[in-house]
Order: sequence, then C-alpha cells, then structure tokens
Amino acid sequence: MFCCISTVPPFPLFFWLLSFRYAPPPPPPPPPPPSHSHSHSHPIQSAAVTTVAAAVDDDMERTEEGEAPAAKDPNASLPSPTYRSLAAPVTKPVDKFALLPAFLKVRGLVKEHIDSFNYFITKGIRNIVKANNRIEARNNPSIFLRYNSVRVGVPSVQVQYIAEKITPHFCRLTDRTYSAPVLADIEYTVGKQYELKRKPNFIIGYLPIMLRSHACVLNGKDEAELARYGECPLDPGGYFIVKGTEKVILIQEQLSKNRIIIDTDSKGRVIASVTSSTHEIKSKTVIFMEKEKIYLQLNQFTKPIPIIVVMKAMGMESDQEVAQMVGRDPRYGDLLYPSIQECAFERIYTQKQALQYMDDKVMYPGAGNQKEGRSKSILRDVFVAHVPVESGNFRPKCIYTAVMLRRMMDAILNADTFDDKDYVGNKRLELSGQLISLLFEDLFKTMNSNAVELMNKTSEKIHSSPLDLSLHIKENIITHGLERAISTGNWDIKRFRMHRKGVSQVLSRLSYMASLGYMTRITPQFEKTRKTSGPRALQPSQCYSLGVEDLSLLSGEEIHASGSFLVMFNGLILGKHRQPQRFANAMRKLRRSGIIGEFVSIFVNEKQDGIRSFDDFLRDGLIEYLDVNEENNALLFRADSLLYLLVYAQRPLLTTKTIELVGYDKLGAGQNATVAVMSYSGYDIEDAIVMNKSSLDRGFGRCIAMKKYTVTKEKYEGGYSDRIVKPQRDKDGVLLKQNMRALDEDGFAAPGLIIRNHDIYVNKQTPRNTKRDSGAHLTDRDYKDSPAVYKGVDGETTVVDRVMLCSDTDEKLIIKCIIRHTRRPEVGDKFSSRHGQKGVCGTIVQQEDFPFSERGICPDLIMNPHGFPRCKINLSKRFFQPYINNTSSRVEGYTGKMIELLGGKAGVSCGQFHYGSAFGEPSGNADKVEDISRTLVKHGFSYNGKDLLYSDRYFKTVPKSLFCLSGILGHPCQAYVFMGPIYYQKLKHMVLDKMHARASGPRVLLTRQPTEGRSRDGGLRLGEMERDCLIAYGASMLIFERLLISSDPYQVQVCRKCGLLGYYNHKLKASYCSMCKNGENMAKMRMPYACKLLFQELQAMNVVPRLKLTEG
Amino acid sequence: MERAAGGVSYQRFPRVRIRELKDDYAKFELRDTDASMANALRRVMIAEVPTVAIDLVEIEVNSSVLNDEFIAHRLGLIPLTSAAAMAMRFSRDCDACDGDGSCEYCSVEFHLAARATDSDQTLEVTSNDLRSTDPKVCPVDQARAYQHALGGTEPFDTAAAADQRQHPLPCCPIMDIIAKKLGILIVKLRRGQELRLRAIARKGIGKDHAKWSPAATVTFMYEPEIRINEELMETLTLEEKRNLVESSPTKVFNIDPNTQQVVVEDAEAYTYDDEVIKKADAMGKPGLIEINAKEDSFIFTVETTGAITAYELIMNAITVLRQKLDAVRLQDDDADLGELGAHLVGG
Repeated sequence: MFCCISTVPPFPLFFWLLSFRYAPPPPPPPPPPPSHSHSHSHPIQSAAVTTVAAAVDDDMERTEEGEAPAAKDPNASLPSPTYRSLAAPVTKPVDKFALLPAFLKVRGLVKEHIDSFNYFITKGIRNIVKANNRIEARNNPSIFLRYNSVRVGVPSVQVQYIAEKITPHFCRLTDRTYSAPVLADIEYTVGKQYELKRKPNFIIGYLPIMLRSHACVLNGKDEAELARYGECPLDPGGYFIVKGTEKVILIQEQLSKNRIIIDTDSKGRVIASVTSSTHEIKSKTVIFMEKEKIYLQLNQFTKPIPIIVVMKAMGMESDQEVAQMVGRDPRYGDLLYPSIQECAFERIYTQKQALQYMDDKVMYPGAGNQKEGRSKSILRDVFVAHVPVESGNFRPKCIYTAVMLRRMMDAILNADTFDDKDYVGNKRLELSGQLISLLFEDLFKTMNSNAVELMNKTSEKIHSSPLDLSLHIKENIITHGLERAISTGNWDIKRFRMHRKGVSQVLSRLSYMASLGYMTRITPQFEKTRKTSGPRALQPSQCYSLGVEDLSLLSGEEIHASGSFLVMFNGLILGKHRQPQRFANAMRKLRRSGIIGEFVSIFVNEKQDGIRSFDDFLRDGLIEYLDVNEENNALLFRADSLLYLLVYAQRPLLTTKTIELVGYDKLGAGQNATVAVMSYSGYDIEDAIVMNKSSLDRGFGRCIAMKKYTVTKEKYEGGYSDRIVKPQRDKDGVLLKQNMRALDEDGFAAPGLIIRNHDIYVNKQTPRNTKRDSGAHLTDRDYKDSPAVYKGVDGETTVVDRVMLCSDTDEKLIIKCIIRHTRRPEVGDKFSSRHGQKGVCGTIVQQEDFPFSERGICPDLIMNPHGFPRCKINLSKRFFQPYINNTSSRVEGYTGKMIELLGGKAGVSCGQFHYGSAFGEPSGNADKVEDISRTLVKHGFSYNGKDLLYSDRYFKTVPKSLFCLSGILGHPCQAYVFMGPIYYQKLKHMVLDKMHARASGPRVLLTRQPTEGRSRDGGLRLGEMERDCLIAYGASMLIFERLLISSDPYQVQVCRKCGLLGYYNHKLKASYCSMCKNGENMAKMRMPYACKLLFQELQAMNVVPRLKLTEG
Repeated sequence: MERAAGGVSYQRFPRVRIRELKDDYAKFELRDTDASMANALRRVMIAEVPTVAIDLVEIEVNSSVLNDEFIAHRLGLIPLTSAAAMAMRFSRDCDACDGDGSCEYCSVEFHLAARATDSDQTLEVTSNDLRSTDPKVCPVDQARAYQHALGGTEPFDTAAAADQRQHPLPCCPIMDIIAKKLGILIVKLRRGQELRLRAIARKGIGKDHAKWSPAATVTFMYEPEIRINEELMETLTLEEKRNLVESSPTKVFNIDPNTQQVVVEDAEAYTYDDEVIKKADAMGKPGLIEINAKEDSFIFTVETTGAITAYELIMNAITVLRQKLDAVRLQDDDADLGELGAHLVGG
C-alpha cells in the first residue's frame, strides 16, 4: 500500500536520476589520469550504448548540455572523477560511485545555497518588485513612482559618490559588508504638472551578496584568478560577509507548504491542515472533526465554521453535490451526514445564508470590501489560498476542500493513511534565497509605504515642494534591514508573521570540514528542547536523499472512479488521467529529453489515487553528510579573531572516497601518528593518551594560535580624535615604561617582536576634553594615555604576527594586531582520532622510556584499548539514538579505527593510500581487510597488525614465547601490541586557554564577592554541593572560613534594641543607630557583605529584617 | 662491581661482535650480559650521547611564508656534524662565557642569508645555505659533500664505499650539491622574499630535546634459538613442510632443495610472531618447532642521524655509561649508598 513503489526505485533520488542518465563502467584498477581516459575507454563506451535501453540515448544529449556549464563552474574545484566513462552500464554497486563525483561536479556541495540565491537575484527579486511596482501618493494618485525593472549590480561601495568595486577578501579585512546595489529603472512624476521623469539605475538598497553566486566577483573564476582575489580555491562559497564576519544562512526544515497533512491534534481529533503559500499571502487552513461533525478553522473567524456551510458559501448549494464530490462510497456519506444535518439545523440552504452566517463570525468585521461581504473575501483570499479563484469561480476550491474531506475520512476509516510529519516527503527545506527574499519583500514594501507616508506629509504641508517620490525612497531601509537580519540571525518579519532566531550563524573556520558542515547543516523545525523521539528517530525516507519537492494530491468529484487519477502540479489540481503509469512515463521522457527541469520528480501515488508531479528548480538535491568531524585546524590565512594552524598538517594515510570528494585530503587538519594500543603508565585511563616527548620535539601536534586584537582610533565631536604616539623615551633614549618594548616608532606593535603579558600594542592617547571649542590646537597635555595592553599568559612567548590598518565605514582608523603563539602539546591538551574518540594528553614520556619494536619503531602515542568500545558506542549513538539499547550490540562500526590502523600500516609499508570505511567493503568502495592483511604479511608484519614491543616495566620474567619490548627495562611485553598509524587531530581545547587559579583578586562591585570566570580572574566557588560535603564531614571551621571570611567579610554595626543596622560615625568615633536615634546598645558584628546587602534591599521593599543578638 | 662483599659476584664479561659497520649504520651482537645492560646502552644512545644542534636563532629578516618560530624549529632539527661534541662544554657550565653560550668552547655560530631575486622560480633554502664559523660543525649533508669533494671516504665505511664503487655517486663539489638542491629543505622563497638570520648551535643531549639525539634507530632483539624436532619433521609430507615454511611472515625457514629437509635459513628474521608454532599446533604436531629467546644475547641495530658515525655513537654511549657508573661508584666510596649499595652488590 505504501506509495510509489512501482516507480520510485529504492535508491536516493539523485542516484536514481543519474543512473538513468549516465551509466559508468567499473573504475580501472589504478585510476588513470582523466586526460588518458577518453581514448582508453572508447570500446567500453560503445558497448555501453548498446546494452543500455533506448531511453539512454536521450539522456546522453542531456548529459552534454548539463556538463558544459559545469566545466566552467568554479565549484568544480572538487576532484574530477578519475573514472573512465560515465556512460557505461551500472552493473555493480561499486560502479555507482563514479556517479557521485559527476553529480557533485554538476551540483557542487553548497550549490543548493548558491542556486537558491541565484534564483532570487535573477527572478525572485523581479517578481517581488513587479508585484509591487507602482506607488502613488494616497491623496493624489497622479503623483506616482513606478519600478520598471530591477537588477542586482556589481558588489561595490560608495566612496564619496563614486562606486568602488569590492572583493570578498577586502570586506573580511576591513569589516565591511560584501553587498551589491539593487538597481531599478524608475519612472516618476515631478512637480505639480506631474511631469514624467525616468531615472535608470536608481539604487534602492544594497543587498549582501552570496559568495560564488552570479552577482559575486568570484563567479566563474579559475584557481589562479581566485588566488589573485585572495580566495582559497577550495572554499565553496555559499555564505555572506556582513560587517567583516562570514555568515551562513542555515537551511531551515519545515513542513511542506500547499500540501494536505492529515494528523491528529492534542485532543485526539482528526485534522486536515494545509499551509498555503503564495506570493501574496500565507495562510493556514485547518479542517477538523469534533463530535462527528466537521468544521473549518481559520484565524480570520472567531469560531469554527461547519464545513457544509463553507461549501454552500462557495456555491455548492446542493448537499448531494457535496457528497458526490467527496465520494460515492456510502461510508463517506455516513461520515458526512452529521455535518450536513448540522447545517440544515442552522437553516442554511443558500449561498447567501451561508455567507451571512459566516459574516457574524468574522474576527475583524470592519475591514475589507464592504459590498462583497467580509467572509466572501476571506474565502477567496485566505481559505486554501494557494488555489486561485479566477473570475469568481470557486469550483477549484470546492474540489480541493472535497479532497481534504475525503482524505480526512480515509484516515478515519483506515488509520494507515495518516500522514507522517517526519516523512521527508512531507518536509521542505527553506534556503538562503527564499529567506532573503522574504526579508527583501518586507523591506521593499516598508520602504515604499514609508515613501508614500512622507509624500503625504510633505504634499500637505509645503505646496512648493517638488513632489518627487523618488526623493523619499530611502535605500537605508533595505541596506540596514538586510544587514541587521543577517548579522544577528533574527528574522522578524511582521508582515509574514515570522519570528525566527538564529537563522544565520557565523561560519566556523576551525577546519575545512567544519565550514562545509555549516553550509550543509539543516535546522529542524521542531523545538530542540522537546525530547520527543519522533523527529529524532531515523526515518527510512531520510536515507541518502533530501531535496524532493512538493505537492499535494487529490482526488476529485465523480472522477473518483477507480482507475482514474488526478494530476497535480505544485499543489494545484491540473486535471485527471486514466492511465497514471503511462502518464508518468511520458512525463519522465519529457524530463529526460530536457523539456522539463531535471529535478522534477514524478510518481504515482497509489495510496491517494492520484499522480503527483512536482517541480522544483530552487531546491535541489542535497546530500547529507554522515560524518561531520569535530573541529580542528585549518589552513586559511586571514584576520580571524581566533585561528589555529597546525604546523605540520598531513594528509590521512587512510582515506575514504567521501574525504576525497570533499577535498579534505587537500586541506588536512591532523597528523598520522603511530599509535600503540596498550596500557602504559596508568596515565591513560578514561581515554587519556600517553605521548612521546621526542615526537613532540619533532613537531607532532604543534600548532600556531593567532588571535586578533582590534583597536579603533575614535573620532569625537569638534574634529578631535584619538592619536597614536611613538613610545615615550627619556633623554637617554631609554623607554619610559618597560611595557613599551614591543612598540615600533609609529606607536604600533612591530611585527616580529616578542610581546609579553601587560605589554602595549597600540600606544593610543585620548583627548581629555572633547567638549572644547572645535579647532583649538591640542597640546600633549590635552591628551591622556589610553594604551591597548596585551593580556597574555605569563611565561609564554607570543609574537606580533601582523598589524593591519584600515578604515571602517565611518572612516575611523582601525588597527588590527594579530598575535601569534606557537604551542607544543602539553598535558591536558585534547586530541581526537576520526572515530569520535577524543582524549586528553595524560602524560608525556621520554622516547627512551617508550616501548619499541625490534624493527626500531617507537610509537608517537599510546592509546588505551578501553577506548575501542567507545568508538562503537559513538557510532551506534549517531545512527540509532532512540534505540541504542537494543541495536548497539550489532553495530560493528568500532572496527573503523582498527581498519584505519591496519590500512595505514599497510599503506606505509607499500607506499599507497588505502581506502577504508566500515561500510565501504560490501560496496567495494574500500579496501578489504583481507587484502590489507596480505600486504602487511608481504612486508613482514603480522596479518593482524600486532607487533612485539619491548618495554615492560612490570614483568621481570621474560615470557618465553611472546615478544614486543619496553623502554624502561627492555623486556618484551606480555602480549603483542596492536600498532600502526592513525590520523589524529588536535582539538581547539587547550589547557593553556583554560587553566586558571587565583588567590585574592578582583571583586564584584555590588556584592563585594570575588568575580566569576577565568576572563575576569575570578575565584573558584565553593558551591552548594561542596558546602554539603563540608557539612556532612563536619568541617565547621572550614565552612566558616570559606563562607564568612574568604568571600566578602564585612563589619556592621547592629542595634541590639531594634535589631537594625546602624553605622559608624568616623568623626565622633562612635556607632549610631539611625532608627533609635542614639548610639547606645550598638554592637559590632561580622557578616558577609552580601548579607548586609540583602537586609538593605529588604528594607527598601518595606520588609524589616531584625537581628537578635546574643553574646558569643 | 668487582667487590663480592657479602654475596656472590654477578660479574660477567660481555662480548661484542660487530657484524656490520657503515658510516651511519651498525649491527652488532652483545653477548653474556642481561637485558638491563643492553637496555642501558640503548637508552644512553638515544638520550644521553651529546651532539651539537642549533639552539638559538636571531632572525634579522624573514619575509618567507613560514613564521620565525617555525623556521627556528626546523633549523634546530637539522643534524650537525658533532664529532667534537664530546669535547665541547655544555653552555650552562661553561666558564668562559658565563653560561650565555656565545663562546667558542660551547657554541658555534651559523649564518644564513638567502633572497629570491627576480627569477620566477621559487628558491629553496636548504641546510646547505647555512654558513658555519667552525669547519668542524656544519650540516651533515655539507660535510658529506665536502668529503666527496676531497675524494676521501669516511672512516669505517667499507660497506658504503663498496656500495659506491658499484653505484658511483657523481663526485661533485659542494657548489654542485647546492645547485642540485640536495640538503634539508628549510623554506621555499618566492620572488622578493628574503631570509637572513644568525643561529647559535650548542651542545646538548637527547633527553632535553630530540634534536640533540644522534640516534635515528636504536633497537635490539633477543637472539632466537630455534630447535626443529627432526623426528617429528620426518613425519611431514613435502607439501606440509612447504606450508609450514610459508606460514611465517618473514623468511625464517627454508626447505633444503637436496635433502628436502626444513632448515633454519635466518633465525634472526624471526619476529617472535608465533605463527610457525601455531601452524605446527594446527597440523597436530605440537613441539615440532621450539623457539626460545636467549636471555643473554642481543642483536643491536643502530642508525644515526649522521651527526656522528654509528661507531662514535656506540663508543660515546659506552663512555657516557661508564661516566654514569663512575658517578655511582664515587658515591659508593663515600659510603652513603644506602639501599642502592645493597642493590649493587647483589643483595
């Protein structure tokens, strides 16, 4: 019964599409370079054509069309497939892999973002402007302004009325927004004669431009050109630069629009809902059944309306017609009967009566078209708004409503036909283009209505004004609105009732993988806080593909006769067809020959007796990444506020095909460490790792942390501004202050100099009085020092890497100092293999103490074997989260790390990069463990990757037969040790950034308690739980000392009589109670300042806290 | 250790037989001693034989893509000829310069100046661009090139020399070597980039930093003792024998083509992997082959970085070990050895 088995194959969507279009041969054993490939593969190619069905012929042509633009596409920086021909038949699952690089070449990894944005700047923006292209003064329609056409210009900024082109990198460095003017050709009237004027290229606002989109300067550039623009050729684009920071607009997942969803609500009622979305309006229509009667619920009505009344209001006056439209089956009639009865009970028989009935329940009766009646316009414009009413013909809406009713009744009769909200087919992904377009539409309308508002005001007041609407168009509304939304991530659009937070996020540049991960991430539509398992569970439909598009289905009037099917297109019923299969096949043929878009999907929906065809050119196939690695280090060189660079980054010895596709092998973020899996020293429990000091000496895990410090040279009223002065010296030329040693003669830190804690990096001075008459000459005395002081870790050597000067949008000078710190791993730094197996460095051991093999191999690090089950758990968690208890035992994913070790070891021995994946073997996309073992044996290793190590410090007797040595005693270890290379990544969590201790230090002003947090040099809190421990232990003196003395001790004067706090009068040297108005009965008492504060705050609230003292 | 006071003397007289000795490679047997001795020697070779390495770098100009610390780190790891290191002073206890490490007794100064002029090619700055102020201490590749230029062979390098007769290296003067881009790469310079620095090399030991370790590989194995039970072996067919021989990942056994008997071809190729024994067990012939490690004989393999020759490495290691033992013995004479004394006399 479950739909579309007959036509949708069980592969992912794009696999399916492509497998028809290209049929590749098996990859040749060593992949030949692509240049050879053509001639080489010729005989096979011709063979392919004969073996594949005739349909392929169409497809081949299509392929060429499709590929041609892709060749120029810069996103094709992905590895070009090294496989012979894409036209050979797919016989084995392995062969299918060749399709993936080809697919990615055409689509790109972030192509969905770019395509969606391209659609917006080429078509979407025009549609929006066109739909609202004329504005006129309200009191005088002759004063008008018309937008004739609109387009997006070249990214640029206005500098003194001259447009200067900008590049993305320029924007990153100077904290600008990478945006392009939106240019419109306008036509407007001027003056009282309404003289018509035209202005071409009128700027209505600046639109942030997505990198690598059509409007971006990087579009279509090759690697060399990209390098000239300061861009990394591997950077996929697809993000924005707003005020110098890179922002990604995350993909938003939401329920399909224009699609009937049958569900039950919280009260257990069956409901059919449709969220309609058109250019003009977005509305939600709900039909539900309560007490056997069916009602319509719409937010324009105060109460639910019986559905039959609605049908009558739309002109279906005959009950029989309604019943027929829903279906002839008497069961439908039975279900419909109570509703019909209710309608009759209300004595509503005609359209007029129905409309009248509904008018009474309208929420805002005042608004709307009076002569037509409010409810009719609601029915026309709001009720299932995506079904159009052309020249007053409500028929399509009636049919649609009937379909909703029928599906609802199907669900009541047969619970199997409920829709699953988590089914991927019922979800849609909203991409940057759509989100920006919503925002733009709102801002554009606001801009226009503001202009009209202003025009109304001026035309009323000053009649001599030129009455020029174009003067009232303020480009700032769009420019700032877009900038604000993207930089804060708050999409607050009142017009569309949209209030979303966190739509955009800062692109993480910690590693290449992290960046890609951001751009392919999808925000789920349900609240994260809820622990419901439904949306979290793995949906079978999620596998492999996301990115199907839309539509709802139907079934219709008398036409429900079995064997006839309705044709739907993007939610609209187009017609019906008697032979759905034939129709679908014909449509598919059209698709293959390129007449319909390649991402149109067509299928027969048997469950709902209809054919759906859906269309989507915006939302394209999109691939889900199964494995997004934890962050690590990348190699992009820029002014990020914090950047970690790995000193000797390597390419992993054991890769997967996915890694190659993504380009991770080009931008590695880790090192191949020789790992021995054994227990050593006891400092390796709880996933800690033991590291070899000599390896660290030689550069393993070494990284450079670059931190940016920004200083602004402020400008003040009266033309004053900060100044930057050279380091002050005495007459012998000795620096006045030691902390100026890092400064150059220009007052900025000198690149290459060592900078220490408390050193000055910008020697800035601020005018003392900025309120003075402007223009007065300021002398040295009028300035006070306000240097920027570097806060670093004592004892660490940091170096000034670069100093950049630029001006911001307000023409203020900005000084960016990048300070570099080279760090070698230390105890507590965090590392991770690629199997979710992270651990801190537990201890660092001299090489001579490390175990070694008789070949002389000494590991770089030692990992405890107890970590292996963890890889397994991580893996099963990721895929089977809700069912972890019953499936984890079957998941054998933990072998991933073992395969990596074996494959890496074999790779090192034979000089080849091996492929490895816990899932690749059956499909042939990874090397088999048997083959790897054979290679190992060939090079004199044991097949199982174990070596004899000498090291053992604990066993004095030499086991006779087992052999592997420990460095301390030189005895063989008791067992063979699993040893080989594993790719390790250094994670950003480093002890240096976290360690913290303090004795006495800063306190909070209000409570006088120690500050909180490392950044404020805060204290370490003895919290409630620690307090509980001390109580339980009976350490009363310790508690007393911690809580009353070490925190915020304070001495108060307490009046023994009234119990309130007094004060100490320093002049009279006596305490005084301001309540009792005398100084008798005063006592001194020590209490926490916070306690005294509490008393005073209570008093301020008219609560009297009285202390009763007894002699201590 | 000669004293036998209160106990049996454990004194032994270890024997060393050198099997192979090349400039930077040595293989020798150490017999009649135990693991503690062998391991001590190994540890000293790795961590305590002094060499000279660049320790302080003053950068005058660096417009290359690598930052100063990066280059300094790379410079430090370049092996320098350290034949004189044993005689040098550690700069921390050098009287002549008060320990600041700038006198001729404890340090050697290097200069490097490279600039990529207008050629479009990238300039590779290598260890050959380092200019030493002391001819005895220079990057290893330079020294080797120099030796070749003189036409001489290095001491103890008979094997290497024989090798060279078969595959003669082009005998090129030092400038040729530089032109051929030999040497250890430090950084690549693009047009207009420049690197100019002064570096000071000092004496140190591997314990402080791996750059001072002269050892690339120092390892030993226990000599295996393989016994074949000939009687049982006779019961095997030729096919079975072949399977048995092939079950070892390394070539330990072979079948004598004449007698068709299983013979030990290379006992030391055995990696203590147990595969043959498991195979014999699987064939239902336990005890067919017995392999034991001799606990008193070790086969050492030593490779050096080139800073000193393998011979020097071994000899210096023995010297250092002896000094350490002397230090212990001196304490012994002061008679405050405590627990350690009892240990030494075998108590």
